[in-house]
Amino acid sequence: MARLIALVLLRWKMDLRALGAARERGLGLLIALPGLLAFSLVGSFFALVGVRGLRGADEAAVLPLLSLLATGVGVTWCLSPLLTGFALSETHDPSRLMHFPVPPGTLVASSLLANLAQPFVLAELPILAALSLALADRLVFVPLCALGALLAFFTILAAAQAVGLLLHGLSRNRRWQDVGLFVGLGIGFVLSLLPLLLLSGAGGPVRAFLRVLLRSELLALSPFAWGVRAAVAGGRGELAPFALAATAAAIAIAAFLGASALVLQRVYRGEVDLGPARGRSAGAARMLFASALGAVLEKDVRAAWRDPALKASLFMGLLGPLIFLYLLSRGSLGRSGGILALAVFVGAAAFGSNAFGLERRGVGLLFSFPVPRWQVLAGKNAAAVVLRLPVLLVLFTASLFLAPLSQLPAAVVVGLVTLLVALGADNFVSILFPVAAPAPGQPASAGMGGRRGLGAVAFTAALLGGALALAAPFVFLAWLPLLLGRPGLWWATLPLALAGALATYAMLVAAAARLLERREPVLLERILEEA
Amino acid sequence: MEPSAASPVPAIAVQGLTKLFREKRAVDDITFSVARGRFFGFLGPNGAGKSTTIKMLTGLLRPTAGEVRIEGRDLRRELLEVKRLIGVLPEELPLYERLSGEEYLHFAARMYGLGREEARRRTDELLDFLSLAEDRGTLVLDYSQGMKKKLALAAALIHSPRVLFLDEPLNGIDPVSGRVVTDLLRRLAAKGVTLFFTTHVLDVVERLCDEVAVIDRGRIVAQGTLDEIRAQRAVGHDASLEDVFLKLVQADVVRRDLAWLG
Repeated sequence: MARLIALVLLRWKMDLRALGAARERGLGLLIALPGLLAFSLVGSFFALVGVRGLRGADEAAVLPLLSLLATGVGVTWCLSPLLTGFALSETHDPSRLMHFPVPPGTLVASSLLANLAQPFVLAELPILAALSLALADRLVFVPLCALGALLAFFTILAAAQAVGLLLHGLSRNRRWQDVGLFVGLGIGFVLSLLPLLLLSGAGGPVRAFLRVLLRSELLALSPFAWGVRAAVAGGRGELAPFALAATAAAIAIAAFLGASALVLQRVYRGEVDLGPARGRSAGAARMLFASALGAVLEKDVRAAWRDPALKASLFMGLLGPLIFLYLLSRGSLGRSGGILALAVFVGAAAFGSNAFGLERRGVGLLFSFPVPRWQVLAGKNAAAVVLRLPVLLVLFTASLFLAPLSQLPAAVVVGLVTLLVALGADNFVSILFPVAAPAPGQPASAGMGGRRGLGAVAFTAALLGGALALAAPFVFLAWLPLLLGRPGLWWATLPLALAGALATYAMLVAAAARLLERREPVLLERILEEA
Repeated sequence: MEPSAASPVPAIAVQGLTKLFREKRAVDDITFSVARGRFFGFLGPNGAGKSTTIKMLTGLLRPTAGEVRIEGRDLRRELLEVKRLIGVLPEELPLYERLSGEEYLHFAARMYGLGREEARRRTDELLDFLSLAEDRGTLVLDYSQGMKKKLALAAALIHSPRVLFLDEPLNGIDPVSGRVVTDLLRRLAAKGVTLFFTTHVLDVVERLCDEVAVIDRGRIVAQGTLDEIRAQRAVGHDASLEDVFLKLVQADVVRRDLAWLG
């Protein structure tokens, strides 16, 4: 106990000294303080008035709703390191103390207690007090409510600490960190889609699910809700249920602390190596395609799929078509016209994909190979098509659901022909207006974008217009049978449209390759910023 | 027709090569040639223009003026053909980090037009030779600097180049691997491969190179065999390359004592 108190006091002292020593940290706290105070006051007000009002309207709904809220907060706190790219896991890092002869359990307990003095945690305490006041039938029951609420809060903190330590341990393995980054970005993507889902009517099923959850007893299984259960029972003066729920919450806290201690020991003392992620068989390492074009395609697809940020961006690209689909489903556009517009949008969105963007500084390596430049461009474009398959899949699915089945082939062909012409035209932008790659050691995002200048923007806009004009005859050809009301003609018009677009693409790539051969050293100088 | 080993056509012929970065003359009108099968050391202090020269010789940087011929072929007009003949180990290692070492070599082999079986055979042999076989499935991202250097060297060798450009090939490599690499380079030179080699390790140059050129502030200040350079600079035959080098680049070595140290 003496060591525990000493450790907590040491941490507080170090935090205070750090605050005093670094002016920017003190300034940051001063800036954050009004916000935290406002959060605390507003939260307390809503906790008091909201819970009192709810109790007056429907007493039976209080426990399930508070349980749901506590579970939601608990899960969010646990996932917060993922959403911030593991950065928050550092706050649970007691590694500096591991070389002292202190049991890991004491270390994690001290870390948990010391975390109570964090400004954001302190800001929650008035809310808990207000909640206790709102839940208590009589003033004498307030301490029981407060104890229950504190237990719920401690459960959340202890769980977040255990998960944070686990993620911190996993982040030492680069592949697990990649997975974590991807999952975090995925959660962020889903969260960014939530308003769209709620607006598009998908909110109905979510609300129905929540109603079922509230009616069922499932929330009683959530450890985050046990403290809340104790607070509600304590407020009513029901001592036996209070004792039962409070004991369960205390056991949950102990279990989370035990898990934290175990993880801490495993991660820092190297008693158990987390080991590398599942390895791949040597056979899978062979390049499958025979030509240089295939090698470029395969290299890009493999590299993009293994880069969590790039992989996530493949799915982020779905956001535009999904918003488009939402507008379509609201009837702002005619269904057939909408599908046509969506197909053109999906294809034209490939314009601006920048053939050499994925290469970054590897572009020097790519151009050191004696490969005809048209193959490099075609390989890069083929990779861009493959990486756009999720978006093409959205288009395919949308056509299935939103328009007559007979429009599906035309919609897909329109998407493909626009994509081909857009990619062919974009090669010129990539060659004429290359984007400088980040310098060695700089993050991948550094120095990217916004450096092409106004002339490039004007040229790019004109080229996009030109690409759309080039694609227009093939789009028209693909859509003509629908306009004539004779879908049977598609057997002739769709292959013709595709062949025409392919021929146009081939001409564009051939011209771009000639331009690339002339400008290759200039391009390299610009991308690698040699000058 | 391919030039033979005894052909008078030099492996590398450079005439009046110049590179201007805005006002700065990074490489200033240099002229030299390297005969086939020679181990050629290109030396100079930091910022002298070594890497800029290598980039221009390998078609990665456009010269402001001058002409480069590799194995008799004009670099500007026959760029792809020259790239088929050369292998390059750059100082900066822009490897594809999200490929495994094995995938990377396969990719390089395919880009040089090797067939699947040949690519597999050469990949296996190179990984084994450079002690990378155990880490063949590991992503390049997880390789150490030395492993990356060896992998880049393997990629530069996989198509059996006639001329090999090596920019600081021994940086970051442990002594055991360093010996493996230098032995390999010696054998390549014996087989008629031309090696153009920059390094700061003068001892290695003394042991390996048949001929050297010293560049300083963008200009070549000496060229020839070590004995020829010693003779040109009027230093004794027992003078080390370090002494010759310091004299050539007129290095201002600070010899004053820092009294407050210790």
